[in-house]
Amino acid sequence: MHKIRVFLPPLMSLCWAGPALALPAPADCNHAAEEDCVATGHWNFSLSLGAGVRTNPLANGRDIPLVVVPQFSFYGRRFFIDNLDLGFTVADGAAGSLSLVATPGYDRVFFYHSDLQNLFVNGVSAAAAAPVGSVLVDRNSPGAAPYPSRARKVTYLAGPEWTLEAHGISGQIDVLHEVTGQNEGNEVRAAAAMALWQGVGSLKLNIGLTWKSAAIVNYYYGEPGGYRGGAALSPFVKLAYSRPLAGKWRLTAFLHHEHLGKSVRDSPIVEGDTVETVFVGAVYQF
Amino acid sequence: MRQSSWARFTSSKLRGGAVSLSLALAWAAAGGAAHADPIRLELKPRLCTLGPDEEQCRTTVQASWHAAQPESLCLIIVGRPEVKRCWESYADGTYTIALAFAEDLTVQLKDPDLRQTLASEVLRVIREALRYRHKRRDPWNIFD
Repeated sequence: MHKIRVFLPPLMSLCWAGPALALPAPADCNHAAEEDCVATGHWNFSLSLGAGVRTNPLANGRDIPLVVVPQFSFYGRRFFIDNLDLGFTVADGAAGSLSLVATPGYDRVFFYHSDLQNLFVNGVSAAAAAPVGSVLVDRNSPGAAPYPSRARKVTYLAGPEWTLEAHGISGQIDVLHEVTGQNEGNEVRAAAAMALWQGVGSLKLNIGLTWKSAAIVNYYYGEPGGYRGGAALSPFVKLAYSRPLAGKWRLTAFLHHEHLGKSVRDSPIVEGDTVETVFVGAVYQF
Repeated sequence: MRQSSWARFTSSKLRGGAVSLSLALAWAAAGGAAHADPIRLELKPRLCTLGPDEEQCRTTVQASWHAAQPESLCLIIVGRPEVKRCWESYADGTYTIALAFAEDLTVQLKDPDLRQTLASEVLRVIREALRYRHKRRDPWNIFD
């Protein structure tokens, strides 16, 4: 009930504001071939095949290999599915959009290789290797930090998402609240992307940050009766190269570096200060 | 002034007779019209829907006709002079052809001199109406 009280006012205000903000599809979005445009009412699938890895900052945490990465999306006129995210676009225009989104809690990927985010968003092959629901970090493992191996359930966060487009820079800000009753924490995700070079292929730079409230930090990295962290701010930078290949194939490569916030780094179950993700592969668009 | 029972009965009968006569005339008119154009033409399929990446319908079209009495006629497709199939003293017929077409297809039955059109049907081409919108911009996503 508490979370409903917290979320109802902003949701209602957005719904009221919706008709006023709602814009028809802009005239520059008349064809799927145009950049950033997509046909509504159709599923979109792609498959990335390649080699990569995401490091795991947890003590004794196994790195997450990236080999096969399926991606899917569906766009209605306002409703959309973007992998594991759901959204409803309140306003959309060439300069930006406002949507209400629901997205899974991110940090679980380090505790469970079987987390769906390791399948559809950030990599896959380990999903088959680890039993569903297995906790990767075990206090009985040799060298593991002494903390209770408790479950971190799948959580969803929801809230408004603003996206902006200006002078070739794409920006995104999500203000999210955990709505599945596990920690009731808050999270802010912000990022900007810009093309550094554009030719046959493109080189793109993304910079951003994730702010997590203490409730979320402690749900994943805290120890009841032991370590209690505060809010954490984790900045990241990503460099990505993409180039069309024959037919529906595209070459992609990226390097993503995330510096973990202090209260996450200070947790006894965390060993690394950063998370590095590297991937080189080919994407097939169905 | 009150009408007698007989007068009311007679008036009612007259009105009823007028209605019956009107119905009979309408039936005769309809029957007459049907007799003037007794040939029925059917196409399968009746519609072709083009997907977003399709330029043409490529399908097998079946045209079937049926007449009340034996007729001599020819089947043609408007704009396709190469397609012509004729029957002599038949009461029905079927013609099947594989076609590729991007616009509506009009199939007609004509007299053997190709002067008078006896029946005409159209196979409609429907282009799927697509709407477009912006993709989600998600630079926070590692795979975006």
